[in-house]
Formats: sequence, structure tokens, C-alpha cells
Amino acid sequence: MLAVEVKNIKKTFKTKKDTVEAVKDVSFSVEKGEIFGLLGPNGAGKSTTILMLTTLLRITDGEATILGSDVATEDKSVREKIGVALQDTGIDNILTGRELFFSTARLWGYSTKDSETRTNELLELVGLTEAADRRVKTYSGGMKRRLDLGLSLVNSPEILFLDEPTTGLDPGSRRVLWDEIKRLRDRGVTVILTTQYLEEADELADRIAIIDEGLVVAEGTSDQLKASIGGDVITFSFSNKLDLENAKKILNDCKQEGNDLRITVQDGAGKIPSFVNELTANNIEIEAVSASKPTLDDVFLKVTGYRLEGSETSTKSEEVFGENQ
Amino acid sequence: MITKPSFFIQLGILTKRLILRVLRRPLAELPNIFISAFFLFVYDGALGGVFGGTASGTPFDFANGNFVNFILPVSIVSASLSGAASGIYLVEDIESGVFKRYQSMPISRWVIILAPMIVGAIRVLLQASLIMLIGKIIGADPAVGTVGFLIVLSLAFIWGMGFAGYSVAAGVKSGSSQGAQAATFLFFPAIFLAPTFVPREALKGWLETAAAYNPTTYVIESMRSVMVEGWVIDVLFRGYLAAGIFAAITLFFAVISARKATEKA
Ligand SMILES: Nc1ncnc2c1ncn2[C@@H]1O[C@H](COP(=O)(O)OP(=O)(O)OP(=O)(O)O)[C@@H](O)[C@H]1O
Ligand SMILES: [Mg+2]
Repeated sequence: MLAVEVKNIKKTFKTKKDTVEAVKDVSFSVEKGEIFGLLGPNGAGKSTTILMLTTLLRITDGEATILGSDVATEDKSVREKIGVALQDTGIDNILTGRELFFSTARLWGYSTKDSETRTNELLELVGLTEAADRRVKTYSGGMKRRLDLGLSLVNSPEILFLDEPTTGLDPGSRRVLWDEIKRLRDRGVTVILTTQYLEEADELADRIAIIDEGLVVAEGTSDQLKASIGGDVITFSFSNKLDLENAKKILNDCKQEGNDLRITVQDGAGKIPSFVNELTANNIEIEAVSASKPTLDDVFLKVTGYRLEGSETSTKSEEVFGENQ
Repeated sequence: MITKPSFFIQLGILTKRLILRVLRRPLAELPNIFISAFFLFVYDGALGGVFGGTASGTPFDFANGNFVNFILPVSIVSASLSGAASGIYLVEDIESGVFKRYQSMPISRWVIILAPMIVGAIRVLLQASLIMLIGKIIGADPAVGTVGFLIVLSLAFIWGMGFAGYSVAAGVKSGSSQGAQAATFLFFPAIFLAPTFVPREALKGWLETAAAYNPTTYVIESMRSVMVEGWVIDVLFRGYLAAGIFAAITLFFAVISARKATEKA
């Protein structure tokens, strides 16, 4: 049985002014015991997808099952199997970490005694034992995220949904959380997480779906996605526009990004000399040239036509807003 | 090992959580207690000499010689407005996302709505009791005996639940704590378009008419009857009826709006 199976789900919000198609057509399936990453920019529809799969939003069209239970019709049994940590964390600031774990355990149906045990286990697991008796108000952003993760684990869920678990964390705290999530996976928990960080998807997710404007535009393991680029990426940099324009005519199928030209070829490193020879023979001055294995960013560029992060010259916000640097 | 907790266990846990929150923000309770106690002292001090007590025997003596008895219901009604906190608790949870977390767990949706109502009710009872205690210390003495305090308290409770329902409905509908807070806006017309300081017969034309349409009037009169006069069954009954109808209507709207809030979009 699949852990999660999503078939062509849609979500349309009707507001007073207009209708928003937050999720247009999303399908994917997640095997038991894997970390599945939904990668996409702001507004892609990640949270909306998570909310639908966790029974918190009604699915407009399409269907989804969690461990064989239909999300729309068997929402009670779905809720029993899943743990959820939402993007805008619902945490009671005025209670202490311990109180939150304890009352959550009680609400899930543990006896008073078991709730105490569970509380201590989980505080330990997410590294909050020291801070357990402080009010959550005093926790740092990273601690709150870990608390949130811990709270989503109280019922020992088989499937865990994490909506942008590391957004806003520093690299160190992010790594701590990654390790925790991997440990959970190693214990057999299936994890579906969303992220807008390429690195996170690359490092953490066993499989990735790239989602953009409510559509899944690519899906596979990180390696599969990179292989879909069809070779290595060679990047040529030029110091002046004229050289760049001339080079464009010589390099077939190249893509411009600022002062760079990129082409995708098999065996990039081996082909550099011949390209360089050809360009210099045409009096074109090359400032720098390098070959690299494709990154998820290249995949993202290929499937969406813009970059998610990194290169500042071709981000989507600039396409939209023009002068935005 | 895990068995789904009963409705009442769930209710207990969520209620306890809210009570903890109240206890940890004790200062938030003070303004309303203060205003209610202030009414009691100031009105008694300012008007007691004219209308009651020492002025007994004058045509103004409608308090049977004890103005505290006469003015205490106003303070109690003011204290019972603390029930409006229910809506604020609920909206705070919606705004902070705690509400969504509960929805993602197998918890009865009614529990999520009921817990803040119960805590609102507890607040009403505590604040009203406190005011009553102060009243007793400065000389309140119900005409029907000590049971009068319980009658006044029960009226305050029903009245407070009416405000709780109103605040829940207003809060959920507006989706912001300001909306719930707006419930306290009703406070002024409710308290002052009523026979607050003098009996209804002594009010001027338009105010008398307005007061007749204000359910607070009947609640205050009902409380006054047991404090000042004794058992006046029809007046007493009208108070319960006015408070009961008000509570029934607002609770109905609270339930409807709460159902909307817990519904999936
Ligand atoms: N309740 C709602 N009513 C109307 N539109 C909504 C609602 N919720 C989300 N949207 C819209 O749906 C789109 C997708 O939103 P969503 O929150 O799913 O994006 P996201 O991928 O999670 O983005 P982010 O990375 O910023 O969290 C956005 O355009 C958003 O404005
Ligand atoms: Mg989101």
C-alpha cells in the first residue's frame, strides 16, 4: 500500500472579489518510509496541498488517500494516522513546553502516566529537555520549530506532514532539524515536507516534486531530475555585451543569464577546450568558463523557466516587477 | 495503548489549558473587576446619601434604606460582562493557529467551542462573587435573605453567558480579536440605557422608552427585587426570561458561527 497517493487534486478559493486557483492539478505518490519533498516558490500551492492532505481544507476536485484511507470521506481515520506541523505554527505561547506535550498526549488518548513518559521521551528527542519548564514565549525560532516537530510526533504517526519546517532557521539549526527528520525516516516514518530551499530538497528528500503555480512540473529523485537535464552545464562569462552577443551566435542552444551563457552537453569538462578555441578564433574574449554537474536549480530553471534562488538576474520577481534588484 | 479520550476528558484538558492562561495573565482580569467595584463604591458614595440610607423617609427612598442593595445589581451586571472573554480566547486561538492544530487531531469540534465558554462562565461567577462579597462587606443585605445572593449570581451567570455567546459570534464572524473585543462596546448602552441609578419610573421620557427595550433593565430590576423588596415573582421571572432569551439567541449565533469556523473551506 502506498503511504500517500494524490490524484489530480485541485483547490479553488472563492473570495468576494475573485476566485483563486491555488492548486490546479497536483498528483504524486509517496512510498512508505521515504522523505518526499514538495519544492516550490512562495505561492506555489505547497501549504494548500498539505492542508488538503491533512483534512484541514476540503479538496475541490480529485482524490487523495493516506495509507488507503480517503482524505475526504474517511477524515477521522486519516487524522489518527498522521502528524502535522503547519507553516504558521499554532503554539500556545503562554504554556511551557512540557505542558504542551503533556496536554497533547492526553488529547491523543494517553493515560496520565503514559503522557508523562511520552512527554519526557519527546522533549529528549527534540532536544528541549532543558527548556521544558519555560514558557514557549521565551523559545527561539529554532526551538519553536523543534517543539512543533515534537508535537506532531506525539501520536507516533506513520505519516508526518511538515510544512516548511526549516524556514527562517540559521544553517546550523536547519541541519539539526534535518538530522532529526532523517532519524525519523530511518525509524520507518514517512515524511512529506515542503520547502523553498533547493539545498534542503537535495539533501533531505528521497524524492522530490517540483511545484509551481499549482502544478507539479517535475518529479523524481534528485539524481533523476538532474539527469533529465541531459548532461553537464558549461558556463561562459563575458566582460562585455558585444562578446556575449557574438558568442550567442556561435554556441548553439545556449541560455543567457546576465553576463553568462550556459549550455548543456555530455562530458562538459572534456568539451571546454574545443569551445574555447572556437570562441577565441572569432576574437571573443572569455572572462571565465566552468563546467558543472547540473544542480536542482538547473532543473528548476528548465521546468519553470526561472530560478528559485541564487542567480539574481533571472529570478521570477524581477520578471514580474522589472526594476526590482 | 491509546484509546480515544472521552468528550469530557477532552473538554477538561482544553478548559484547564485556558484556565492556566487566565491564571498566567492575572492582570488582564483586573480592569473589569476594577470597573465593577468602582461602580459600587462611587455610586454608593455619591448617590447613596441622596437616595437611600440617610435620606430615608424622603420621597426619593426607593432603596428601603439600603442603597448598596439597590446599586449592587449594576455592579454585578457589569462584572458579568467578563463573559465576553470567551470570544477573545477563541479568536486568539484561531489567530495563533492553535485552533488548526486541534482540528488536525481527533478532537470533537464542540469541545473546541465549549471550553472557552466554560472558562468565560467561570470568570463571570468569580468576578460576580467577588463584587458580591465586596457589596456584603459594605452593607448589602438581600431582602429575601442570603438566598438572594444566589439568585443574583444565577442571573449574572445567565446574563454573562449571553455576552459570551455574543462575543464568540462576533469574534468568529470578524475573525479578529478586535471583533471579539467589540463585544464590550455593547457595555455602555447595555448599562446606561437602563434604570441604572434610579427606578425606571424616575427616568425621563426617551430613556424610559429605551430602557423598556433593553433586556438589562429586566435583569437589573429582577436582581433589585430580591435585594430591596422581597419576593416579587413576576419581576423576578421577567429577569430570568430576559437573560434567558438573550443567552439563547446569542448562543444560537455562537453555535452557527462556530460551526462555520470549524468547517473546512
Ligand atoms: N484562504 C485562501 N483564500 C484565497 N487564496 C488563498 C488562500 N490560501 C491560499 N491562497 C492563495 O493560494 C496560492 C497558494 O498559496 P499557498 O499558501 O498554498 O502557497 P505556498 O506554496 O505554501 O507558499 P509559501 O511558500 O509562501 O508558503 C497563493 O496565491 C495564495 O494567495
Ligand atoms: Mg506555505
